[in-house]
Amino acid sequence: MTLSDTVLRAFGQALSPADVISDPVRCRAYECDGLTGYRVVPELVLLPRDAGQVAAAVRVCAEHRVPYVARGAGTGLSGGALPVADGVVISLSRLKRVLDVDPVDRRAVLEPGVTNLEITAAAAPHGLYYAPDPSSQQVCTIGGNVAENSGGAHCLKYGFTTNHVLALEVVLPDGSVVTLGGDTAEQAGPDLRGVFVGSEGTLGITTKITVRLLRAPETVRTLLADFPSVSTAGDVVSDIVAAGIVPAAVEMMDTLAIEAAEEAVHAGYTLGVPAALIVELDGPVEESESQFEQVKAICDRHGCTRLHIAGSAEERAAIWRGRKAAFAAVGRISPDYFVQDGVVPRTRLAEVLDRIAGMGDEAGLRVANVFHAGDGNLHPLVLYSSAAGETERAERLSSEIAELCVELGGSLSGEHGIGTDKACSMPKMFGRDDLEVMGRVRAAFDPDGLCNPGKVLPTPRLCGERPGKYRAHPLEEAGVIERL
Amino acid sequence: MSPPNATTTTLRPKDLAAVRDAVLDTPGKIAISGAGTAGGWAGTLRPVDAVLDTTALTGIVAHNPGDMTVSVLAGTPMRALTAELAEHRQHVSFDAARVADGATVGGLVATADAGPAALVFGSLRDLVIGTTVVLADGTVARSGGHVIKNVAGYDLAKLLHGSYGALAVLVEVVLRLHPVPQRAATVVVPCPLAEAAELAARLLGSQLEPAAVEWVSGEPGTLLVRVEGTAEAVPARVERLRELLGAAAELDEWDSRRNLSNESPTRRDGDPWDRHAALVRGTPDDAVLRIGVRPSRLPRVLDALPARGVAAGLGTGVATVSLPADPAAVTQAHAAVAAAGGTSVLRARPAGLDAPAWGPAPSAVAVLRAVKTAHDPDRRLGPGRFDPWMDQQ
Repeated sequence: MTLSDTVLRAFGQALSPADVISDPVRCRAYECDGLTGYRVVPELVLLPRDAGQVAAAVRVCAEHRVPYVARGAGTGLSGGALPVADGVVISLSRLKRVLDVDPVDRRAVLEPGVTNLEITAAAAPHGLYYAPDPSSQQVCTIGGNVAENSGGAHCLKYGFTTNHVLALEVVLPDGSVVTLGGDTAEQAGPDLRGVFVGSEGTLGITTKITVRLLRAPETVRTLLADFPSVSTAGDVVSDIVAAGIVPAAVEMMDTLAIEAAEEAVHAGYTLGVPAALIVELDGPVEESESQFEQVKAICDRHGCTRLHIAGSAEERAAIWRGRKAAFAAVGRISPDYFVQDGVVPRTRLAEVLDRIAGMGDEAGLRVANVFHAGDGNLHPLVLYSSAAGETERAERLSSEIAELCVELGGSLSGEHGIGTDKACSMPKMFGRDDLEVMGRVRAAFDPDGLCNPGKVLPTPRLCGERPGKYRAHPLEEAGVIERL
Repeated sequence: MSPPNATTTTLRPKDLAAVRDAVLDTPGKIAISGAGTAGGWAGTLRPVDAVLDTTALTGIVAHNPGDMTVSVLAGTPMRALTAELAEHRQHVSFDAARVADGATVGGLVATADAGPAALVFGSLRDLVIGTTVVLADGTVARSGGHVIKNVAGYDLAKLLHGSYGALAVLVEVVLRLHPVPQRAATVVVPCPLAEAAELAARLLGSQLEPAAVEWVSGEPGTLLVRVEGTAEAVPARVERLRELLGAAAELDEWDSRRNLSNESPTRRDGDPWDRHAALVRGTPDDAVLRIGVRPSRLPRVLDALPARGVAAGLGTGVATVSLPADPAAVTQAHAAVAAAGGTSVLRARPAGLDAPAWGPAPSAVAVLRAVKTAHDPDRRLGPGRFDPWMDQQ
């Protein structure tokens, strides 16, 4: 125990002593998030009951220079909620009230511990819903969604968390409480709300979130189509986009992912096919009907081997259950796996999948692919067995895949975040000055560096000094950007 | 833009390196200017030593139609970009009134401007996916990227949105594109604001998915409802709209933008959207205030203002109001908006009008100042734009 009794007493006064967990056995439950490869047992876990207690806890941290990590449901996949040694975890799990649902102005006000799906459940009686739908939506919380700028299957058409958050009440690292954003998109100055969303818990802790709610669409049409190859399925996506159609969702799965998902939830996927697409259109009946016919014709033109149209809400739900269960389902066909989250420009999908397959062969590891084909966000699942000593190889392959995405003009992460996992890869995507300016913004919010330290931006301590010789950024080599 | 004094130099860099050099080589305070369509918006610029004119920073850097993204230099006029993208049947889903006046992409981002399409597509903060900027100390910084889905690193583009030239020089902007809808149509209903608000609430409670819902003042005023979609579907949707809005609702015959995929839509006199744009611009004699309040509170706030002209987004809660050029009227309007929980900023006004540009400082003003210091510690860029909040220490 490195925290002094004074600090412990201060936390006990800020909260109730019963809400301060110091028992190492109980603290161990908080040692990691959804990225279980990284584990650190925190010194203390704080369980505040309201926003005032969160602010009080942060003030104690600020006064005594105690680093802290905010935590929602702990479903993050990049180690963003990994505790820091000698620090505390501030769990928002008890702040879970839906404070307001306003059907007239179509918005909801939530505490951070409300789950993503609970928002839609609260809005549904009014014919409204909350659009971002990460696959973990049954358990992940809106506070975590704000931190990660979570997406989901429907963000091609509807956007990400940042496009749906109007305002945030935030406890800043000095313990003060401010509001970022407002009742409308009009801004009084630079969009601080926008920079906070997706900052992975490094700029403060949100204690109240106002989100936009959308009117549920009049119709939803969903189809599942099988294709003889991943590249033909990719061509279908390109043709849909070229036809000026913006589907609500376009998802692709390959043989291995289909096998895993089918085994887990029996959603009616075809075993053994090289690629399956889920395409969903929604909107006013006239629009989605005419565009749905176009999509079916495009599928046929590209040699679709089976076209299954969801005939009922249950069938639609089954198709999505298979897709959303795919990550967990991979556990059925492999003892261990890593999930990656890189993004490539959509037109390079076939190329990147080809190269990933080659890299997997070379490493002697299987890679299953489940991804958001509409926006080029890949989720390669690297299958391995730690018992067979494959961990290091799998980890390397996984990082190489993320960095390959950058090389092809994309991003290290589409929705899972940088966190602990990819902080050391950030120099592959951004130059020194880019990262330095991000560091300045971080320091503007958190001058003492106490708020989720060690995440997002690479540090020498975390990544080692890597002087090496200068390597041109891929976009620089392609002539898209220039380095001065 | 305040009149540059006799010793003001004008810098007109043509590329990123030249912007960096211009910032590094020029001592003192610098104002950033674009096409000049919003030079007098927000706080009055205090005297500067140089003006950095971005209008030579033009052109598309990269556009791959299949990816539906485009990278442009910040001085590119949005309407020029629209023309270039039209052949691919793509566009930036953005329709601020001053696009037609030649406003630059960078200027539109820096002023956080938006038009009626914001109801569905949001403002540029929702459409910008990457930026390259030059800071006051010459540092070149990129954030975001060239893909629409990207959470790597802080989204610094958001800070530039609404920065009014006081944080950094925007040099390059990467934008997400959307397909140009095959067809658009506008249904108009002559009615006063209160009735328009009721109709809008009914409409927004339906599943008809309007693309824009705006009210323009007049005698008695007009509700404008736009739908966009496929050529097959739009006529049927217009009929359903008219049923919902009642007997007075008519398909507008003068809507220039009804065939959006036509590369150069013919301008027609009497287009109701032209009237909307004129009200957003305001007249030179007026003080133009941009406000945002919860949609349900907007009619009450607007009714209480001494407005000479109003264009109001009934779904977005964002309205542009022409007020008498009187400091007291502007002050009271800021107060009325703030009392309703909203946000306001003064746009165009007669030169020399000594009226407050902003309402009360936001609760996060200390963070705003810290962000300003992080980007521009010597307070060189855009002095006065956020008076009286930003430069108090």
